[in-house]
Amino acid sequence: MAVCIAVIAKENYPLYIRSVPTQNELKFHYTVHTSLDVVEEKISAVGKSLGDQRELYLGLLYPTEDYKVYGYVTNSKVKFVIVVDSSNTSLRDNEIRSMFRKLHNSFTDVMCNPFHNPGDTIQSKAFDGIVSGMMVQTASYT
Amino acid sequence: MSVPDYMQCAEDHQTVLVVVQPVGIVPEDQFFRIYKRIASVSQVSIRDSQRLLIRYRHHYLPENNEWGDFQTHRKVVGLISITTCASAKEWPQTAERFHGQKEVYSSTLYDSRLLVFGLQGDVAEQPRTDVAFYPSFEDCPDVEKRVDDFVGSIFIVLESKRLDRATDKSGDKIPLLCVPFEKKDFVGLDTDSRHYKKRCQGRMRKHVGDLCLQAGMLQDALVHYHMAVELLRGVNDFLWLGAALEGLCSASVIFHYPGGTAGKTVARKPSISQPADAGKRHRPGAQEVLIDPGALTANGISADTSTEIGRAKNCLSPEDIIEKYKEAISYYGKVMTRNESTNLSEEEKIQRYSILSELYELIGFHRKSAFFKRVAAMQCVAPTIPEPGWRACYKLLLETLPGYSLSLDPKDFSKGTHRGWAAVQMRLLHELVYASRRMGNPGLSVRHLSFLLQTMLDFLSDQEKKEVTQSLENYTSKCPGGMEVITLPDGLKLPPVPFTKLPIVRSVKLLNLPVSLRPHKVKGLLGQNMSTASPFIYSPIIMHNRGEERCKKIDFQWVQGDVCEVQLMVYNPMPYELRVENMGLLTSGVEFESLPAALSLPAESGLYPVTLVGVPRTAGNITVNGYHTSVFGVNSDCLLEGLPAVKTSGCLVEVIPSLPRLQLSTSLPRSAYTPQPTSKEELSSTVSVQLFNGETQQLTITLENIGSEDIETLELTSKIVSTKEKVFGEFLSWELEEALSHLPLKSGQALTLTVSIKVKLDFSGQENLLQDLNDDGISVTGLPISSPLRQVLKPRPENKTVSSESGKAEYSHIKTLEAVLNFKYSGGAGKVEGYYRELSLGVHVDVEPSVFFTRVNTLPATSTRQCHLLLDIFNPTEHELTVSAKNNQELVLHASECQRMAIQVDKFDFESLPQPDQETARFTNPKQLEEERQHAQGCQINSKLGICWSIISFQTNENEFH
Repeated sequence: MAVCIAVIAKENYPLYIRSVPTQNELKFHYTVHTSLDVVEEKISAVGKSLGDQRELYLGLLYPTEDYKVYGYVTNSKVKFVIVVDSSNTSLRDNEIRSMFRKLHNSFTDVMCNPFHNPGDTIQSKAFDGIVSGMMVQTASYT
Repeated sequence: MSVPDYMQCAEDHQTVLVVVQPVGIVPEDQFFRIYKRIASVSQVSIRDSQRLLIRYRHHYLPENNEWGDFQTHRKVVGLISITTCASAKEWPQTAERFHGQKEVYSSTLYDSRLLVFGLQGDVAEQPRTDVAFYPSFEDCPDVEKRVDDFVGSIFIVLESKRLDRATDKSGDKIPLLCVPFEKKDFVGLDTDSRHYKKRCQGRMRKHVGDLCLQAGMLQDALVHYHMAVELLRGVNDFLWLGAALEGLCSASVIFHYPGGTAGKTVARKPSISQPADAGKRHRPGAQEVLIDPGALTANGISADTSTEIGRAKNCLSPEDIIEKYKEAISYYGKVMTRNESTNLSEEEKIQRYSILSELYELIGFHRKSAFFKRVAAMQCVAPTIPEPGWRACYKLLLETLPGYSLSLDPKDFSKGTHRGWAAVQMRLLHELVYASRRMGNPGLSVRHLSFLLQTMLDFLSDQEKKEVTQSLENYTSKCPGGMEVITLPDGLKLPPVPFTKLPIVRSVKLLNLPVSLRPHKVKGLLGQNMSTASPFIYSPIIMHNRGEERCKKIDFQWVQGDVCEVQLMVYNPMPYELRVENMGLLTSGVEFESLPAALSLPAESGLYPVTLVGVPRTAGNITVNGYHTSVFGVNSDCLLEGLPAVKTSGCLVEVIPSLPRLQLSTSLPRSAYTPQPTSKEELSSTVSVQLFNGETQQLTITLENIGSEDIETLELTSKIVSTKEKVFGEFLSWELEEALSHLPLKSGQALTLTVSIKVKLDFSGQENLLQDLNDDGISVTGLPISSPLRQVLKPRPENKTVSSESGKAEYSHIKTLEAVLNFKYSGGAGKVEGYYRELSLGVHVDVEPSVFFTRVNTLPATSTRQCHLLLDIFNPTEHELTVSAKNNQELVLHASECQRMAIQVDKFDFESLPQPDQETARFTNPKQLEEERQHAQGCQINSKLGICWSIISFQTNENEFH
C-alpha cells in the first residue's frame, strides 16, 4: 500500500524520500511537496487550540485520484508523509498509525546515531530497511 | 458553449445582470466613460425594505445566458445600449440595430434602454421611455437618473415574476426548468409521475429562492432554498440539488458578511440602503433552523412563506456554509463526470489551472498553487496547440518560483549545502531553460542553465552533468554567458551566476616574491614606520578580529612591474576533464595587469595547485578580490567575499614602486650545493670550488641589469658561515671601486667584478695521520715557535679533480669553507622610498691539505746572525709538487713523500714587533691579545721565509704561501 514514504525536515526540505514505482519518482516528489501545504495548515490550526498536547498523527491530508496522502508530525516538527494507493481500501486508519509509529521509532534511532548530523539526508540502512519493509509488506496485502 | 466566470462570488447571487453595450460606432474611451457612470448605480433601494443590486457587464456571451433558469443571476435581465447618431436620417437604422441587439437576449430581458448621443432636433424631442437622447457625451447630466429609473422598472418585473412563481396554485402544472444540456434528456419523459412532479416543484422552489434573493428578500430566499433542497434530495436531482445548496450558502454568506467576502473587489458603496450593521462582518448566533416538514405540502409550494419566516432565521452557520458548499460541489461533481462531453479548449484549461492556482494561493497553499501554475504553464505549450505560447509559459513558470522556494539569485545558495526539493526545483529550472530557449532568448537559457549547474551540482548525476554541460556549451556557442544582470520585461532581475564550483577553489594564497627579488627597507627609515603602528612593543590585544582576516595586510611587499603570483588550490568536481579558460585575478587598489591562464583539470581531481600571475603597474595597496574564469563559454567573476569556504591568509598586500633587477653569473660553474642549514638566508645561487690549502682562486662575477630601472647603488658584503675552522687571512677579497665607476647601470648593461678566494686553514689537528706516516718523535707542537709556523706552513689546496680520484682516507681530510657574498642594490622609484634588493651568492669551497711540516728544527749557521731552519716537509697529495723558499732552490716532492729542507735565515726577534697600544690592550681580553700576537709573529716569519709550493702538473697557477 505505501507507494511512497517521505521524511521532511522542520524547514520543509526532504530528508528522505522513496517511492515504489521508481520510474515516476518525480510525481511523488510533487505529491509530497504539495502535501506540505495541508500539513502546515493542520499544524497551525491545531497549535492554537491544544498547545503542546498535539496529536502527532494528522490523518488523511488529501486524496487524489490515485493516491491517499497521510501525514504525521513529530514534536520537533519533522514531518512524515506516507502515500498509499487509493485502490487499497482494506487499509485501516490504525494500520497507517502503526506505520507512522514504526517510522518515528526508526527515525529516532537515526537521530541517536552520534555520527549523524541532524539536518542531513538520512542514509541509514536500518531506516531504509524499515521503509522497505513497509512498502513490501503493503505490496503483499494487495 | 458557456464560459465559466471565475470572478464570481457568493454575493453575485443577489444581483441582477445588466449588459451595457455599444451599438454602431462608439469611441471606446467615450463608451467606458458612460459605462462607468452607469455602473456607479450599483444599488437601488425600492421601498423601505427592499433594494436591488445590479451587476453590469459590457460583454456577456449569449450562451451563458441560457443558464439563466438554473441560476437567475446568470440571466441578462437588462440591456443598456449606447450609440452615436449624428442626424435624424441615421436614426431609423440605429433604432433597428438596437432592436437587433435586444433580440440576442430577448428570452430573458425584462427591460432595455438606448442612450443616443449626438442627435438633436425633432426626433430627439419625442418623449420615449426606452430611449434617451443627449447632444454629446459631455452633456448628459441625467444618465444616472435614467439608469435609476431603468433599474426601478426591472425591479417591478422581477417582483412580478417572483410573486407570479411564488403564488402558482398547486393545481397548475409547474413547468420543468432545465439547463441547456438537459433539454434533450427529458424528451418523452412521463410528465405525470410523482417523481417528475416533485422534480418540477423542487426546481421551481429553487428558482423562486433565486428571485427572492435578487429582490432582496433574504429570509424568504433561505426558506425557499431549504425547501428546494429537501424536495430535490428526494428525487436525486443532483445538479439542481447542488444549485439549491449553493443558493442556500450564498444567501447565508450574504447574511453573515454584509460587507462582502470578495477581498479583491472593492466593497460595494455603502449607498442608500445598507443595513445599519453593515460594518459588522459576522453575526454570531445565526443558526440553521430545520424546516418543519409540515410546511412542505405534497401538492406544491405553499403560497405563504410568512409562517416559516416567523419560525426560522433559516440561515446556515459559517461552519455549515462550508459543509454545504462541499456537498454542493460533490453533487456538481456527479453531474460533471456524467457529462464529460464538456470538452475544454486549451485556453480554458489554462484559465482553469490558473484560477485553481490563484485560489490555492488565497488559502495559503503556496506549493499547491505553484503546482497548478506550472500545469497551466505546460498547458500553454501543449503539443495540441498550434502556436505554443512560450512567453506565457515562461512567465507562468517564473511565478511558480516562490512556491518551490527557489530564488534565482545564486547568493542564496552559497550558505552551506543546499536544502530544498532538489528534484522538483531541477525540473522547474529545466523547464525554464527550455521555455526561454523556445522564446528565442538564448541569453536567458544560458543564465538559467548556469544557475542549474551551479546550484544543483550536488544533485546532478554524472550523466546529467554531462548533458547539462553539453547543452550549455551549445547555447554559449551562440550567446556566451557573462556577468551582466538580465532584466526581464516585467522587471524581474536575474543576477549573474558565477561558476564558483567549476572548479571549486579551496584556498587562495598570495605568494611572496622570490628571495632575490624581495624588497628590503633601509633600516634607518624602518624605525619611523614602526612607531606609527603602535606605541607598545608587545600587546596581547590582537589588532584584527577574525572577520577582518581577509582584509589583513600581508607582511611582505610586491614590487611594481614585477610578476606576482597567487596560488589557488582548486578541485574539479566533474566526472570528466574540466577546461578552464582565461583564468585570472580580480584585483582592486592598483592598476594590475592580469596574465590569464588556461588549465585543464582531470576528472574528480584532488586538490590541484594553480598559480595565477599578474603584474602590478602602479604602486599602492592591492587587494585580491577574486578570480575570473571562463568555463563552458560562461564568463564568471568569482568574488572571494561570496565564498566563505575559501581559505585565505589575507588578500591585501602593498605594492612598492619599481626596483631594478640584477642577474648574476660567475666564471665558476654553479653548483646545486644546498646551503648549510645554519644559513638563514636563501641564496640565489651557489658556486663551489675545490682548492688545496693556501691556494688562491679568482672568481669573476658578472652583474647584469635585467630590469627596467637603472641601478644606482651597489654594495657588496661577505659573511663566512660555518666557521668552526679558523681562517687565516681574508677568505674573500675584492675591489669594488672599478665596478662602482660604471654606476648608474642602465637596463641591459653589465659589469664585472673579480673576487679572490684564498683559503688558509689550520690542518694541524691531523698530526695523528702524520705520525702514522712518519714515526719519528718530536712533535711540532712542542716547540715554542711551532704554532705560528705551523699555521703559516699549512698546505695548499689544488683543483677539484683530486677529490673525485682520491681515496676515502684522503677525503676525510677535506675541510669545508662557506661564505655568502651579498649584493645590495637599488635604484629607480623604489630607492626613493627607501627600498633595496639583495642578491646573494653562496661560495662553497672544499679545502684539501697541501703541504705539511712534520718537524721544525734549527741549526746554527756559519754566520752568527743567521741560522738554518730545518723543515721536514710532507706532501699528502697525489701530485708531484715543488716547494721553494726565499733564496733557495726548489725542492721536488713526489706524492706522499717526505723530505727535509734547510733554509738559511737571518735571526730575528719577536720583541721587535709592534706592541698593541695600551688603550686597546685594556679592552681586549688576554686570550685575544695572545692570538693577535701569535698572528703577528706568524706574519713576520712568513715574510722572512716566503715559502711557496706548486704542483707541477697544474703549472698554470703558481701558488704562493704566506
